[in-house]
Amino acid sequence: MITRRNFNRLAAAAASGLAMPAVLTGRAFGQDKPIRFGASISLTGALAGTKNGQIGYELWRDDVNAAGGLLGRPVELVLLDDQSTASNIPAIYSALVDVEKCDVLFGPYGASLTAPVMPFIKQRDLFMIGMFPLAGNDQAKHDKFFHSAAWGPNSGTDWARGFFDLAKSVGVKKLAILANDLEFSKNAAVGGAKVAEEYGMEIVFNQSYPPNTSDFSTILRNISAANPDAVFIGSYPADSTAIIHSVREIGVPDSVKLFGGAMIGPQYGSLLSSLGPELNGLVNCHLFSPEPTMQSAEIKSFFDRYVPRAEKEGVDPLGFYIPPFYYVAGQLAAAAITGAGSLDQAAMAQWLHANKVDTIVGPATFNEIGDWTTRRVLMVQIQNVEGNDLAQFREAGRQVIIDPPELKSGDLIHPYNKARAG
Amino acid sequence: MTRGGWTFGLAMLVIVLAGFLAPHVLKNPFYFFAGYVILQYVVIATGWNILGGYAGYINFGAAGFFGAGAYASAFLFNAFGIPLWGSLIAACVIGAGLGLLMGYLTLRIQGVYFAIATLGLVIILETIIHNIPALGGARGMVVYGPPPPGWAAGPPQYMFVLMLLIAVASVSLARWMQLSWVGRGLRAVRASEDAAECSGVPTLRLKLLACAVSGAVLAAAGAPYPFYTSFVEPVTAFSLIIGLNAIAMPLIGGTRSWQGPVIGALLLATTQQIATITISSELNILFVGVVLIAFVALAPNGLIGLVRRKGTEARL
Repeated sequence: MITRRNFNRLAAAAASGLAMPAVLTGRAFGQDKPIRFGASISLTGALAGTKNGQIGYELWRDDVNAAGGLLGRPVELVLLDDQSTASNIPAIYSALVDVEKCDVLFGPYGASLTAPVMPFIKQRDLFMIGMFPLAGNDQAKHDKFFHSAAWGPNSGTDWARGFFDLAKSVGVKKLAILANDLEFSKNAAVGGAKVAEEYGMEIVFNQSYPPNTSDFSTILRNISAANPDAVFIGSYPADSTAIIHSVREIGVPDSVKLFGGAMIGPQYGSLLSSLGPELNGLVNCHLFSPEPTMQSAEIKSFFDRYVPRAEKEGVDPLGFYIPPFYYVAGQLAAAAITGAGSLDQAAMAQWLHANKVDTIVGPATFNEIGDWTTRRVLMVQIQNVEGNDLAQFREAGRQVIIDPPELKSGDLIHPYNKARAG
Repeated sequence: MTRGGWTFGLAMLVIVLAGFLAPHVLKNPFYFFAGYVILQYVVIATGWNILGGYAGYINFGAAGFFGAGAYASAFLFNAFGIPLWGSLIAACVIGAGLGLLMGYLTLRIQGVYFAIATLGLVIILETIIHNIPALGGARGMVVYGPPPPGWAAGPPQYMFVLMLLIAVASVSLARWMQLSWVGRGLRAVRASEDAAECSGVPTLRLKLLACAVSGAVLAAAGAPYPFYTSFVEPVTAFSLIIGLNAIAMPLIGGTRSWQGPVIGALLLATTQQIATITISSELNILFVGVVLIAFVALAPNGLIGLVRRKGTEARL
């Protein structure tokens, strides 16, 4: 007869027996845990304009999970706000690795936030995809660091070389350089001066200005007095707007064939729509433009999903500059994991060094310090802009790709005053 | 030495010993990264309070001294290989000199005008750094420090212990100043500068001393920063956030004594660190702002003032 006590013993034994395989094979069970991708993003502070990159990460995560995850495991994002402050970076990345137990890391935005994380990943020998740090690995030379942006090799000097190639092609002899006193634009100016010297151009004006400058009329008059053939500018959104306004008011000499180069701002929807036709003729850097030479079903699908989310979240509704490359970062990490067949950081890096990855912005291959082997920074000329309607910038023919030649979608209109007149 | 002095000394010794033992107990490096930032703010708040709290001269230029210390150590290490301890002493000397200079130039003005003048110091120093290529200009300087000494468990643990020693030294200095003739003189200056002058208090000399010591402590907080982040650039080194935190922390804790800035810094910096990895969104800025407003509204003399007021009320 089965007493209540015996029944309880039997039930306990049966339950233990059923549970035992799960207990003993905890490792196999654990493999279903999500793969955690950690990153710091600038939700607040001076770099908060880059927070639309988060949508790129999230779209990539959703796509990967919809396709069954990686190595049979779902993908999870752990994103922490760095407040655009370099001093927060070491603690944030330690939290991502030591507290959140992330398996793979994405870098913070830009060179000044990436620099503090480089010793950390080198010391721990970690794999990382860097987010837009110009020449970010040139000093650390960490063999497990890869760029998501196509700056190309020797990017500290060469990333804006396309502007100077165009300048050379139209016979520019005298160059003016104007740069904001901040890291990215100052880097651009120093690199630009080196390339100009290499091409035998005379630098007739080379000046930097404090970050809060809002009136450029005097500076533009001085540039005009130097009578340059091209004006290379490194600027941030607020001063880019002020410079364009000053050009409208003061004008530039007819000798100027090219104007622009490294102006941050005209890549964003808000600035494109607010300045509208004033931007016509500007030749400026970009990383993506909706021209036929760059379009693909994958990138179209990306923007079809990005735009409604961006409008809902109140971030850049165009999203050409940053978000696709956050998606690319996910693609690169995913390819490395799948290729290596594990989360072993050395195997992932080795695979990524040895193989080509097809991303939504095109194929990527890497050199020994994680630069894209081919520079793919665009020089686009803004043409045919009428009115301030944002939708026109989603069409081909407004941000025409002039360089590099393999992506060229139209011809350069010059001199600048002719291009400005539309 | 008084009984309080012995107790304080013993407490500092225990804290230092605990700091050296911590890496053997806490294995997670995150605590040392976060602890470094919290202790850095203890030093900044303590340094600011010597002039802003004891003498009542509100200084918005804390970031200027911090940045000067950071750049001094980064340059000395990169250019001459001077180790961190040497750079730290040099940063203190530079900070003290800068404090004296600022004092001579600005101490004739008081109140809001003094505050604006000190804010100008930050802008001047940042502009100077921007225009010196040897200091990296706007591009900043990469500083790959030497590996930590053998007794340290790793770089974050070493930086934590170093900042703990700086914090203990700063707090000890601030306590000595408060309790000595210097503190009594500065209290007289804060209460009424004219009355203090008439009573024979050497007000200018005391204020200059406070400026120099405050500058040295603030620069000492900045000296290890390039080794912690491995990078220094002017926008972050001279960030207004440093200046605002330097004021907010003593206000929260209380500006009248050495304990106030320590308590305020521990509370606010810890809250900020926790918020960064838990809330981690735009909301954490709002959260810290609300905490600050609440303290200013409910405890205008800081936590120490609030506790003393409650104690007085209870006795009545």
